[in-house]
Amino acid sequence: MSADTKIAELLTEMHQLIKQTQEERSRSEHNLLNIQKTHERMQTENKTSPYYRTKLRGLYTTAKADAEAECSILRHSLDKIAEIKSLLEERRIAAKMAGVYSDSDPPRKTMRRGVLMTLLQQSAMTLPLWIGKPGESPPPLCGATPASSDYVAKQGDKVAARVKAVDGDEQWILAEVVSYNHSTNKYEVDDIDEEGKERHTLSRRRIIPLPQWKANPETDPEALFSKDQLVLALYPQTTCFYRALIHTPPHRPQDDYSVLFEDTSYADGYSPPLNVAQRYVVACKENKKK
Amino acid sequence: MSDPAAQALQPRLLQTQPAGSSTAATGSGTGTSDPARPGLSQQQRASQKKAQVRAFPRAKKLEKLGVFSACKASDTCKCNGWKNPNPPSATRMDLQQQAASLSEPCRSCGHALADHVSHLENVSEDEINRLLGMVVDVENLFMSVHKEEDTDTKQVYFYLLCNFCFFLRTSLSWRAPLEGVLNFVQYKFSHLAPKERQTMFELSKMFLLCLNYWKLETPTQYRQRTQKDDGTAYKVDYTRWLCYCHVPQSNDSLPRYETTQVFGRNLLKSIFTVTRRQLLEKFRVEKDKLLPEKRTLILTHFPKFLSMLEEEIYGENSPIWEADFTMPASDGTQLGHQTVISPASVSGSPALSKKSGAGCLKSVSSSLTGEKRKLPEAVTLEDAKRIRVMGDIPMELVNEVMMTITDPAAMLGPETNLLTPNAARDETARLEERRGIIEFHVIGNSLSQKSNKKILMWLVGLQNVFSHQLPRMPKEYITRLVFDPKHKTLALIKDGRVIGGICFRMFPTQGFTEIVFCAVTSNEQVKGYGTHLMNHLKEYHIKHNILYFLTYADEYAIGYFKKQGFSKDIKVPKSRYLGYIKDYEGATLMECELNPRIPYTELSHIIKRQKEIIKKLIERKQSQIRKVYPGLTCFKEGVRQIPVESIPGIREPAGSPAEVKDPDVLYNMLKNLLAQIKTHPDAWPFMEPVKKSEAPDYYEIIRFPIDLKTMTERLKNRYYVTKKLFIADLQRIITNCREYNPPDSEYCKCANTLEKFFYFKLKDGGLIEK
Repeated sequence: MSADTKIAELLTEMHQLIKQTQEERSRSEHNLLNIQKTHERMQTENKTSPYYRTKLRGLYTTAKADAEAECSILRHSLDKIAEIKSLLEERRIAAKMAGVYSDSDPPRKTMRRGVLMTLLQQSAMTLPLWIGKPGESPPPLCGATPASSDYVAKQGDKVAARVKAVDGDEQWILAEVVSYNHSTNKYEVDDIDEEGKERHTLSRRRIIPLPQWKANPETDPEALFSKDQLVLALYPQTTCFYRALIHTPPHRPQDDYSVLFEDTSYADGYSPPLNVAQRYVVACKENKKK
Repeated sequence: MSDPAAQALQPRLLQTQPAGSSTAATGSGTGTSDPARPGLSQQQRASQKKAQVRAFPRAKKLEKLGVFSACKASDTCKCNGWKNPNPPSATRMDLQQQAASLSEPCRSCGHALADHVSHLENVSEDEINRLLGMVVDVENLFMSVHKEEDTDTKQVYFYLLCNFCFFLRTSLSWRAPLEGVLNFVQYKFSHLAPKERQTMFELSKMFLLCLNYWKLETPTQYRQRTQKDDGTAYKVDYTRWLCYCHVPQSNDSLPRYETTQVFGRNLLKSIFTVTRRQLLEKFRVEKDKLLPEKRTLILTHFPKFLSMLEEEIYGENSPIWEADFTMPASDGTQLGHQTVISPASVSGSPALSKKSGAGCLKSVSSSLTGEKRKLPEAVTLEDAKRIRVMGDIPMELVNEVMMTITDPAAMLGPETNLLTPNAARDETARLEERRGIIEFHVIGNSLSQKSNKKILMWLVGLQNVFSHQLPRMPKEYITRLVFDPKHKTLALIKDGRVIGGICFRMFPTQGFTEIVFCAVTSNEQVKGYGTHLMNHLKEYHIKHNILYFLTYADEYAIGYFKKQGFSKDIKVPKSRYLGYIKDYEGATLMECELNPRIPYTELSHIIKRQKEIIKKLIERKQSQIRKVYPGLTCFKEGVRQIPVESIPGIREPAGSPAEVKDPDVLYNMLKNLLAQIKTHPDAWPFMEPVKKSEAPDYYEIIRFPIDLKTMTERLKNRYYVTKKLFIADLQRIITNCREYNPPDSEYCKCANTLEKFFYFKLKDGGLIEK
């Protein structure tokens, strides 16, 4: 089955799910109304009779079930979205591979830098928000939560990669994983910036995978970097990560971090606060302190 | 007839010979001085002689003029010049000779010299000197007649002598066609780099200069050389040349014309081969006398130049000889003589500019968008009334297409920030400005007025952005210029903070603006802000009537400026900016010429829209034309081959009558037609672009001005690749006229007649269906 038809199918399913969500919602609404009315009546009678208690317990149990049903449908929809996104990603990687490996194909048209920057912002904005079940703690690669020590980034994943620039300086760049060699433990990555168009072979410790979920500050604040923490953050409108201090963590799911980049051209050694999305803020291994 | 010289000289000249011989003998040493002073040109000798004569005492001068003045003693005296009763011997120099007294009687009529010069009594010394100059010239001419051996030339001299007065008063008003050689440079070499073009231009000027002082071969020589033609035409040219160019060189009483001003291609045709040979020969012989830098120019480039020029001289269709030849593609680049744009009307007062400057850009852009929204309706109404231009797209169709591309329902999904990879560079910035996310303000410091605090804050912000983004500029220097009241800065404001700007200095008297600093803060780069800033700056300058930007760009900035339409090819003459603009070592001077008719901040958007419309129209046309013809059956019937054109659908894909395929055929047809239209008696209002001085609001009302001169240029530049384009322009002349002028005006009457005329001609020429 082609990716296109599969996506079309998934979209149809999503459409169904959205309709179901609405049904669930109206059902639970009826129930919630009932609960509210019961409470009102109890208030006017000014006593809690066992009848009401039993009634309320029943109503609440139903309401909870309804909410869980609605929630599972919503999760199901989110899964569908994730599935569609992964299909699109697969297709993108396939196209890229085809582009890279076929000799007959013309060289990839280089994007205008402004467009690349918009795409990067777009990808940060559409990074899924992790929604755990009650009591569940955020998984690795959600927000500031690091990957497990044996984690291997998949092909197509975006990473921060420490590369040696032409002038010999080390630099953290935004890159995309091409492959991982398990025997040498080395990654092959592509510079995201098509102008660079360089492929680097780097050891594991030079690669930091980017978060795959946003952490929700309202529910999982522990999965975010805290104020004054040292991080690597993508400098706005570039494809390079620089050391920065967290100025303020995000307050809402769609908010960005505000960070202070280390910058010697400013009197106090730090840039004014700049916004960087969760997607592009990773922990800084403090190997080389200044 | 107030010219006493003419009165005095006329009768005298009628009996040339005897009087001439006597004056020649008495008055001058010219005739004999030739071998003695070989270094002097005829011209120098003439002026020397004149100076000598002017130094005479008045009595002597009167005597000399008396010789050429008719006797005024009585009405009956027919004597036409005083003759000295004691002719001086030819050996004695006239300087030593005593002047004859006024009472001395004339040898011929017996009246006193005073009677001959009575009309000169109250004449000023200057006038006397002028008359004496003429006398000398006439004497010299007389000598020339005597000495000349070539019969043709002698004849002309004689004729000239006899009709001296006539030539004194005639003036030539011929066109200046030999200047076409300069056109030749534009025509052939405009693609070259300015330096090489300058070289060619110099060569052509040198060639013209040589022609001006070139002695033409006599008609006899011409006849001998060419043999094939009898040289009548050449003889006419030669006579003219003698009378108007050659003789007046040494004879300054006669009006003089440059050969290149009064002769055209025909003369050049006659003389080019021999002149070329002689010129090259002369340069070869004299090559050691040439300046070293001139030597390479002449010896290496000149022969090639002449060969290319020859092609144009003898070629059939060379456009360079037309009097109205212009090269529209390089109108700003006419070498040497550039038009200076009128000084801009910018208020010099920094206080005023600051007050009105801030926020005015905002209003510009908003008024622009406001206009844009209104325009389509207005156009529709107008166009409905107008006669449609042939081959034009029907308005309903255009409207329909416009609907589909602006239809919000046709867009997919909600508005996002997602851009297509081919989105214009300034698309995001434009959208952000429209939504009020970013603002543009022209601000500046003032010394005479207390500055607004917000503006001072912004200036500090600008100083910070510049000094941060341009680390190689000393901060003090940046501060000095940003706060200098003569400099202004276009500031880019986001969230109340400065995130970028262009600092500039206007030089209204010099017709250009210097761009001093240009930067966008690093975390806001590659969003199209730089492009949008520059577009705003362009519109601001168009409003203030300055159409050139100059800047010294460092190596990192060259790329940016190129994208903004700057080039290293500087058209503003150096004298206009030298000493005005700040010069930076190691930086490249770049220039941008503005076109006042382009709305720069909307340009990429407009072009995108136009592309969309055209694409839709093409799609429609294709779906209309997609027509299936039945297969050919003739081959089955035994026909072996048929002409390609006879296959149905090959010839007329776009409807009939068939388009002329051969571009040269079409070109010549249109050229003929245009020539006929231009000579039509009612074509006069449309010959040239309407002058703003005559109709100040014309270009506000008429959006697509066109005229026959512009059409001629377009034709020459091969713009009319289809007859449709040509007919559309013709029709546009008429519709423009009807739009601007009242229907019963003289202009509209002309337009009506002309329209009938050219439609008749179009039908006649088979360009449209009968």
